[in-house]
Amino acid sequence: MDKLHLDQHISQQFNLELEEIRNKVLSMGGLVEQQVTNGLIALLEGDRDLGQSVSQSDYQVNALEVEIDEECTQVLARRQPAASDLRLIVTVIKVITDLERIGDEAEKLGRFSVELANPDETGKYRKELRHLGELVNDMLREALDAFARMDVDAALKVAARDGDVNREYSSLERLLATHLVEDPRQVSKLFKITWCARALERIGDHSVNICEYVVYLVKGRDIRHTSFDQIMKEFS
Amino acid sequence: MIHSMSTTTISDILTPPVHPTGLNGEEQMDTAFDDIKGTVGTQTVDDPKMSAHGVDVFYGDKQAIFDVSLDIGNNEVIAMIGPSGCGKSTFLRCLNRMNDTIPTCRVSGSMSLDGQDLYDPSLDPVLLRARVGMVFQKPNPFAKSIYDNVAYGPRIHGLAGNRAELDDIVTESLKRAGLFDEVKDRLDSPGTGLSGGQQQRLCIARTIAVSPEVILMDEPCSALDPIATARIEELIDELRQNYAIAIVTHSMQQAARVSQRTAYFHLGKLVEVDDTNSVFTNPQHELTENYITGRFG
Amino acid sequence: MSDQLSQPAKGAPERTASDMSPTTRQVTAGLARRYAAEKRFRLYGMFAIAASLAFLALLLISIVSKGLPAFTQTYMQLDVPLELETLGIDQQTVDGLLDGSISTQAIRRANFNGAIRQGMRERFPEVEGRSATRALYKLVSSGAEFDLAARVMDDPSVLGNRLTLWLPSDDEIGALVKQRADLSAPDTLVTRLDDQAIAWGAELKDAGDFDVRFNTTFFKNGDSREPELAGIRAALVGSAYTLLITFVLSFPIAVAAAIYLEEFAPKNRWTDLVEVNINNLAAVPSIVFGLLGLAVFINFFHLPRSAPVVGGIVLSLMTLPTIIISSRAALKSVPPSIREAARGLGASDLQVVFHHVLPLAMPGILTGTIIGLAQALGETAPLLMIGMVAFIVDIPQGVTDSATVLPVQVYLWADSPERAFTEKTSAAIMVLLAFLIAMNALAVMLRKRFERRW
Repeated sequence: MDKLHLDQHISQQFNLELEEIRNKVLSMGGLVEQQVTNGLIALLEGDRDLGQSVSQSDYQVNALEVEIDEECTQVLARRQPAASDLRLIVTVIKVITDLERIGDEAEKLGRFSVELANPDETGKYRKELRHLGELVNDMLREALDAFARMDVDAALKVAARDGDVNREYSSLERLLATHLVEDPRQVSKLFKITWCARALERIGDHSVNICEYVVYLVKGRDIRHTSFDQIMKEFS
Repeated sequence: MIHSMSTTTISDILTPPVHPTGLNGEEQMDTAFDDIKGTVGTQTVDDPKMSAHGVDVFYGDKQAIFDVSLDIGNNEVIAMIGPSGCGKSTFLRCLNRMNDTIPTCRVSGSMSLDGQDLYDPSLDPVLLRARVGMVFQKPNPFAKSIYDNVAYGPRIHGLAGNRAELDDIVTESLKRAGLFDEVKDRLDSPGTGLSGGQQQRLCIARTIAVSPEVILMDEPCSALDPIATARIEELIDELRQNYAIAIVTHSMQQAARVSQRTAYFHLGKLVEVDDTNSVFTNPQHELTENYITGRFG
Repeated sequence: MSDQLSQPAKGAPERTASDMSPTTRQVTAGLARRYAAEKRFRLYGMFAIAASLAFLALLLISIVSKGLPAFTQTYMQLDVPLELETLGIDQQTVDGLLDGSISTQAIRRANFNGAIRQGMRERFPEVEGRSATRALYKLVSSGAEFDLAARVMDDPSVLGNRLTLWLPSDDEIGALVKQRADLSAPDTLVTRLDDQAIAWGAELKDAGDFDVRFNTTFFKNGDSREPELAGIRAALVGSAYTLLITFVLSFPIAVAAAIYLEEFAPKNRWTDLVEVNINNLAAVPSIVFGLLGLAVFINFFHLPRSAPVVGGIVLSLMTLPTIIISSRAALKSVPPSIREAARGLGASDLQVVFHHVLPLAMPGILTGTIIGLAQALGETAPLLMIGMVAFIVDIPQGVTDSATVLPVQVYLWADSPERAFTEKTSAAIMVLLAFLIAMNALAVMLRKRFERRW
């Protein structure tokens, strides 16, 4: 039951359609992940050009979202999928929404990285984002990995790391507040950095959402808004 | 550093996963079928109208149904789905002993209506069929007028004392079957002259004219177009307020639309029965999953 | 010419073989052959139809052309002196007849024949000698006296006066008159009459004393030794009685048997045996049933010989398998969905059969019955065995009276040498065919009626 067997429909065409949707979601995931990584690098390294290209590449993510949405609608209309197929389509529709939001956040990173690109002034503050950024980037990658493999365990592991992100974000918030007090002249830049931290935290949340959809896709069980302990109890 | 690491991972992910078992669908089906030990899901309801327990049905030496236990609750529509020859129709026909006419057919296990054993020798099948009505796959109105079609059941059972009462029963039944407005001007014209959907609703009116407690429907829409089908489905939903309904259907969408519970039969075994919602979004048994998603099997 | 043909047609783009797909090429190659085969088959069919129509037409033309004269009868006008002396009636009786105190039956035995002979003698006063007068008398039918008697009994006041009336003529001279033969040239005629009789006939004809009229006698009388007096009525009534008995016996028995076998009987070795036997019974030669009827019904049960009741019973035996087989087929053809529908409503098996299955099967059952009865109507052999081959003059009044049937009547007349009987044979065949057509029409009508009930 844990495997979806997308290639076993009697209708070969249906197999192909589902496979294509899945591949496109994975491409979109790859693209979004690339955007986040590049945005983060641009931010950390103060790479203005990379930041520029990140903020200008978001349209690709948006275009993929529209395209996948359209294909999902067509599958719903023409195949009336049931059970795992239905869950796959529903999951995809939800996953791509989150991916698109992540893409937006990545674009935000790129945009701020351009604005913060003078390494001397903000370099030391921007470096504070590195830990959170790597954590979130890791989570996104593993979430997409879990989706690609329909791996509930991996998905649950990612979801469990949401707390880490929140803690990291809170401490970062405090740190930035301290910097703000120490160096009031940098207030607008520190605000932008706070926005970046906020964006990274949102990416983490979206990654967790994706993991929750993976659990729904595989287990048919909606674990949103359920306490983590309860979930672990249920699936262990 | 992050950059290089993430790209390798993405290409990793994008590689389509290798099927872990390496089996094709057919082989999996076989192994899965061997696994049908019992039924997945909830077979019982709190207040069953009809109840089957450990039912086996044989046609001669051939066993058609294996150890099926299933309740039909009051005011619910239970849909029975499954591939051809899976025994769902056979099971349905056992519920009002329509299989009695087949000499080689033998039923064991217990089946009951309101706790009374259906196959008790003291229970008259004629009485049983008055309480458990049946609507068939092909609309089969009698070669009589619309009025006489509906009045037939009440007449043979003596349900109406006089003509006025009979008129009332006929009118009421036709109304409840949603046919009255279409035929009120031509009650004397032949029932066979109606369209397919109207004929099927006439058959339903004829069935409810006897005031049964349970209505069995054997693929009632298989010969109808989508609009007629939608009417019948709407009607089934209304009838649910007063009757227990069991419907056999080949259309999974129909089962999903009309039923509260769904039972999946496979090769004479009841594989899974549960809330229609959960069966159609998250079936528990692999065979059910394969069937309702159109996979090999 | 040949090189002209190989040129592509001008104007139309030529489709060469290389343009076509392999399928198109192969199909095109075979098309002509396939259409030719189809055409050939249609021709065979049309030929078969034409041949059967030709045979039917031949049969009908032959029968009708031979039989038509039997439906007419030649009458000759004669002035008959009704002298009481000749008739052997006294004046007292006449008075009694006139005031109604004596029944007309009293003069039934009077010598009307003498009166007719007297009339003939007066018509041909030159004829003398015993043999010549006897030949002269023969020009009038021996049944003429009954016509005269009927006229006199209708109106006794003519007694003692002269009466001019049309009397049936004898069959031989009648046939010549009907054929509009040239009576002045006796040598050319094919007849048993001698030249003198033909001369008398010519004289009567010239005087306009012959008339050809529709033959009511044929439909009013029973059989007779005299062709001009022989009628089909006894056979017709006999056939009707026989068929009535056959229907009354075979229809309910056969339908009941068919219903039981088809709807109620368990399918086991015994019912299989019964079925095989019924099918075999349908193939038993009909004469065997005649022998059975003779042995059982006449010799053992002492039912009256030659009676429609025995004929009907024997024909029932013969018809039963036919009706049973066709009724079973009709019952079997009723869709099982109707049975299920009724049973699903809680109808008992009997209600299912009588409310739904039987009405739907009725047209088929009736067709089978009519076919069986038509067969029975045309049956001769078994009836010969039980004595229905008798010479029946009186119209049977009931099913136990001696009677004969149409086909047997045909058989009897076909055996008679008189030329007028040959006509009668064909005429009887026509009546038989008309009876059959009427029965089939009735069947079609009944079927339509039942079918209209959907």
